Amino acid sequence: MLGFIIQRLLQASLVMAVMSVIVFVGVYAIGNPIEIVIPPDATQEIRAETIKRFGLDLPLWQQYFIFLSNLVQGDFGRSFIYNTPVLELIAGRLPATLELVLISILTATLLGVSLGVYAGYRPHSWLARTIMALSVLGFSVPSFWVGLILILTFAVNLGWLPAGGRGEVIAFLGVDWSFLTPDGLAHILLPALNLAFFKLAMMIRLARAGTREIMLTDTIKFARAAGISEGRILRRHVLKLIAIPIITVFGLELGSTLAFAVVTETIFSWPGVGKLIIDSITVLDRPVMVAYLILTALLFVLINLTVDLVYALIDPRMRARGA
Amino acid sequence: MNTRRLLASAAIALGVALSAELSVAQTLTMGVRGGPESLDPHYSALGSHAEAAKHIYDTLVWSGDDLQIEPGLATSWTALDDTTWEFKLREGVKFHDGSDFDAEDVKFSIERIPVVSGPTTTTIYVRRVAAVEIVDPHTIHIKTDGPAATLPYDFVRLFIVSSDAAKDYSTPETAAAGFNGGPAAVGTGPYKLVSWEPKGDLVLERFDGYWRGKGPWEKVIRKEMPNDSSRLAALKAGQVDVINYVSSVDYLALQRDSSVDAIVGDSVYIMNLQLDQRADTPLVRAKDGSKLDKNPLRDAKVREAIDLAIDRRSMVDIVLEGLGKPANQMMPPGFFGSSDKIATPEYNPERARKLLADAGYPEGFEIDLYCTSDRLPGDAAICQGLGQMFTQVGIKTNVNAISKTVYFPAQARLEYSVFMNGWGTLTGEASYTLGSLAHSNDPEVKMGAYNRIEYKNETVDKLLEEGAKTLDPEPRRKLYEQAMVETMADRVYISVVQLQTVWASKANSVIFQPRFDEDTLAFFIKPKS
Repeated sequence: MLGFIIQRLLQASLVMAVMSVIVFVGVYAIGNPIEIVIPPDATQEIRAETIKRFGLDLPLWQQYFIFLSNLVQGDFGRSFIYNTPVLELIAGRLPATLELVLISILTATLLGVSLGVYAGYRPHSWLARTIMALSVLGFSVPSFWVGLILILTFAVNLGWLPAGGRGEVIAFLGVDWSFLTPDGLAHILLPALNLAFFKLAMMIRLARAGTREIMLTDTIKFARAAGISEGRILRRHVLKLIAIPIITVFGLELGSTLAFAVVTETIFSWPGVGKLIIDSITVLDRPVMVAYLILTALLFVLINLTVDLVYALIDPRMRARGA
Repeated sequence: MNTRRLLASAAIALGVALSAELSVAQTLTMGVRGGPESLDPHYSALGSHAEAAKHIYDTLVWSGDDLQIEPGLATSWTALDDTTWEFKLREGVKFHDGSDFDAEDVKFSIERIPVVSGPTTTTIYVRRVAAVEIVDPHTIHIKTDGPAATLPYDFVRLFIVSSDAAKDYSTPETAAAGFNGGPAAVGTGPYKLVSWEPKGDLVLERFDGYWRGKGPWEKVIRKEMPNDSSRLAALKAGQVDVINYVSSVDYLALQRDSSVDAIVGDSVYIMNLQLDQRADTPLVRAKDGSKLDKNPLRDAKVREAIDLAIDRRSMVDIVLEGLGKPANQMMPPGFFGSSDKIATPEYNPERARKLLADAGYPEGFEIDLYCTSDRLPGDAAICQGLGQMFTQVGIKTNVNAISKTVYFPAQARLEYSVFMNGWGTLTGEASYTLGSLAHSNDPEVKMGAYNRIEYKNETVDKLLEEGAKTLDPEPRRKLYEQAMVETMADRVYISVVQLQTVWASKANSVIFQPRFDEDTLAFFIKPKS
């Protein structure tokens, strides 16, 4: 098992190294970021001086080498748009994204799996049909539109919930959180709902497909023949057997939502990391882009690793193979 | 000048008296598109950065609603000789921490800029400064590196920080921590810092000792909401009181909405089409794709044809939904150096076709037109409009409206032949615009750095060099007006439209005068009651 983890971490460092080169070369190819941000009335002299001050006159390999040697010392560099250490910038905004994403993914999974299992268990009931119809909607309607409709309905027309922002925050473990205050919760509700919509639809479909398949297997027939109650069959057998694809998707979705909740964060003015990366891209703030993508790669590797470990926990066959 | 100043101060005094009466315990929440990048006012020269900084800090010279200069922390300024400007400083001004403002703070602020400035460099404000001499606590002499006629204009965004509070926070490593955290963020402005988070909320509290008088709001919250629709939704939901940059589509809808007031103001931004003057230009070709033997954009007849092909009226009425004005020069009327002798451009497609034929292009030719799509309201739409208009007179146009992230670096590499972007004369005077765009690119005289079309007109060059050395405002104004006339006559820069900006507030709640530079300043927003 330890060998497996070490192998995974080595793969991760390779992915991260490749990632940093791609971002470096990509940003270099677009052009000099100074051209986007420098005031138009800057003279030739000021322009040259500014480019030099930020080390952007050096050849690409040299800039990359400087970045790497700083990285080895644990320094991701400073954002040249905000003049603050990149890690501080990302860490300051991570809690906002973290709470939003966790709440929405957990809601989507719990709700989605329950609804999906029901829809798979009683596929012909009217409720199951309604659930499936709604899930189609969740798939096909773009999330920015849903976000705007949510704002229009609940914030503008009904006036029940705020239209954006994070609301009141409270410090817990040295970090500010919204979900611990009533005002913060009111602010988090709509964006979390918006973010959960698509995942909910996916979870419903996954759980339904899995349940339908398993309900027809011999396992269930024998369980019923043995006189086990239907509730117990669903809980002990069906849920456990459909868990693998759901955990895989949960992990992937968690990663991608954490890294790229951009649309929802923008529409609801939610000060998370997704907005940070988009803003950095529009001004070619290379230190932030590189650090962010490296960390994202790391995040995905860690999530995948966790998912693999969880497989081993719930599926004995995997354990036998992994050992 | 003197009567103007008197009138200005009288107007300010009146405003203060009125606002003092009206002020009640109130909070103003503003939803704005962009925010500061740091609370160090000397870090960035970005418009939204300066706008946020104006709440906390003051500038030596104040730029009024129409961008013409007025006294700020300096009460007067005079050129003593070719390389010395004397600034008299306002007496009795207090910093937020209660300490007095004096010449030491000005010297400290000026000298701090080159050290802490970021990539959107603020060194442009002090580029002409060679030395700062303190004469007495309220008089300061600025030595310049040559005759610097525009020095007072350069100083409209020169923010003054407290030399005591910011002393330990004036290196690139310490500045962000000191200012963003609070201890160094001490100014003489109308509001004191309470808290700020990058890309989040800037929370401010009224500074009762402000020299212009007490502001109308006890607390001001400036929320960053980059998405246009979300900002408007927040206003309609009652979360914010005022928003800036309402899109033209939303503006149409707002006119039928009685719960919201829309306030339209002229913008300083003008969309200019730029035509490459190099002998060999990359993105112009014959309609069959073959290379032309020479660059048609160097032919005055072709440039006139392009100008005549533009229907500016339709551009404003249809493309911009009425939010703009046809433009005939690169600055709005009334700015220092705008000329009233430039004729209104004409729309005449028949004549345009004839001119093209006269120039030897009866079949027209093909161009790639490049523009920004995400920088200013309507930029992509105007670009598409231009494309259709050019195609109608026979110049087949491929429209490329792209992100500014790609556009500006490529423009700097001189990759485009025909391109358009907005230009705002933020100092309110012509040397800012003509010096950067119309002078030939010449590092010797420090002009033409933004001339990306290799435009060179000896007469214009001479006028601009002369203007930069002329300290007396009236002859100087004439030189720039003449340079503007000459430049526009060449039609290498073709001004299309002047943009307008829309703010919105809850119906009958506040009153304010829109500013040319599009700043949204809480101190000048008054409750309506």
